[in-house]
Amino acid sequence: MKADLEDLRNRIDLLDESLVRLLNARAACALEIGRVKRDMGVPIYQPEREAEVLKNVQAVNNGPLDQAAIKRLFERIIDEARHLERIADEVQSKEKG
Amino acid sequence: MVVVMRERASDEQVQGVIAKLIEMGFDVHRSTGALRTVLGAVGGTRQFDTALLEVLDGVQEVHRITEPYKLASRTFKADNTVITIGDVRIGGDEVIVMAGPCSAESEEQVEASAAAVKRAGAKVLRGGAFKPRSSPYSFQGLGEDGLRLLKSAADRHNLKLITEVMDINQLELIERYADILQVGARNMQNFTLLRELGHSKVPVMLKRGLSATIEEWLMSAEYILSGGNMNVMLCERGIRTFESYTRNTLDISAIPVVQKLSHLPIMVDPSHGTGKRDKVAPMARAAVAAGADGLIIEVHCDPDHALSDGAQSMFPSQFDRLMAELRIIAPAIGRSICLEPVARRGWGV
Repeated sequence: MKADLEDLRNRIDLLDESLVRLLNARAACALEIGRVKRDMGVPIYQPEREAEVLKNVQAVNNGPLDQAAIKRLFERIIDEARHLERIADEVQSKEKG
Repeated sequence: MVVVMRERASDEQVQGVIAKLIEMGFDVHRSTGALRTVLGAVGGTRQFDTALLEVLDGVQEVHRITEPYKLASRTFKADNTVITIGDVRIGGDEVIVMAGPCSAESEEQVEASAAAVKRAGAKVLRGGAFKPRSSPYSFQGLGEDGLRLLKSAADRHNLKLITEVMDINQLELIERYADILQVGARNMQNFTLLRELGHSKVPVMLKRGLSATIEEWLMSAEYILSGGNMNVMLCERGIRTFESYTRNTLDISAIPVVQKLSHLPIMVDPSHGTGKRDKVAPMARAAVAAGADGLIIEVHCDPDHALSDGAQSMFPSQFDRLMAELRIIAPAIGRSICLEPVARRGWGV
C-alpha cells in the first residue's frame, strides 16, 4: 500500500514537471504574440480570442475534470499570460521612452 | 479590488469590465462560477473611483480590499507611533491627560486652572485663544493675549500646551506658543488647513468631524502626514446621532477600530463628547478602559462663571477624583497614568 502511494506521488511530481514545462512554453508563445500585437498596434486584451481558447480546450476535454473546471483553470492561465504581456509591454515602452 | 458581476451577466458585460480594469492598469483574475463571475483586480497604481466600475453594465458590486489611506494605515507602519514632546510621550504605555479651560479668559483664571490640573496629574494644558463658537455673538476668545497667558501658565507648571488653530492665517502665530496644534471637529475636512499643517514641525491633534466616518477621518490625517508632518494624533469627540439627551454620542468603539486600522495615537474628549459635566467622568473611565492613549478634558476653576462651555467643564475637585479612579483602571489593561501625582510629592502646591 505504502509503495503504491509513493509511486502515485512520483507520477504526480513528473506530471507537474511536464505541466510547468508546457505552461512556460505556452507563456513564451504568448509573449511572442504580445510582441506581434504591439507591432500591429492591437490591444493586449482580445476577448473573442480568449473565448475561442476556452472553447478549444473544452472541446478536447475528456474528463475527469468537468467543463467548468477546465474553464476556471484556463481562465487563470490566460490571466497570467495577460499579466506577462502587460509587464513586457511596460518594459518595452520604458526602453523606448 | 473585487468586482462581483450580476447573476447571469453576459460574456460581453464581463468582457467590458475586464477591458476597463486593464485600461486602469490592473491585472485581472477572472473566476467563473455556476451563477456569477467574480473578477479580482490586483496591482494598479493610479487613484481611481470605484463608482466608475459600479456603473458598468452587469456589475453588481465593487469592493476595495485596501484602504484608500496609506501613511495613516497599519499596513504601512505596524508599530504604534509615539509622539515625543519634551518629557511627554503620547502613544506609549502612559495614558496622557490634557486638561484645562475651554478658553483663556483672564490671567487669574488660566493660572488657577493650570495649577489645578497639574496638581491632579495632567501633562498638557488645554485652552483656546480663538474660539469657534456656534453663535457669532458668543465670546470669541482673547486672541494672542490668550496665547501668552496660556503659554506662561503652562511653563510655570511644567505643562505642554495644546490649543486650536482654526485658520491658516493664525498658524504662524500659534506655532510660536503651542506644543500641539489642535484641529477642531468643524475643520476636520478643511483640506487647505490640513495641507498647511503637513508642513508644520509642531505635532497635530486631529479631532473627528461631527458626522465623519472613521475612513474620512483617517483620510484627513493622510493629508497632514503626506505633507511630511508624521506627528499626528487623532481625537474622538463624539458624533451626531439621533440621541439628543447628550450633545453628541461619544463613539468609544472608535478607539479599538482606529487602533486596528492605524498606528496613530488615539485620544478621547469626553467633555465635548457628552456636553454635560456629570457624564464626563464615566466616559473618561470608559475611554481609558477601552485603550485610549490619552484624554482631553475641560476643567475650569469656576465653571459656573465660565465664558464658554461651563456646563461641560469639571470642577477641579471632580477632576482630582477622576484622575484617582483612572490610576486604578489604567493598570488593568497594562497602561500607567501619571504614576506619582505631584500633590503627594509636595510639588507645585
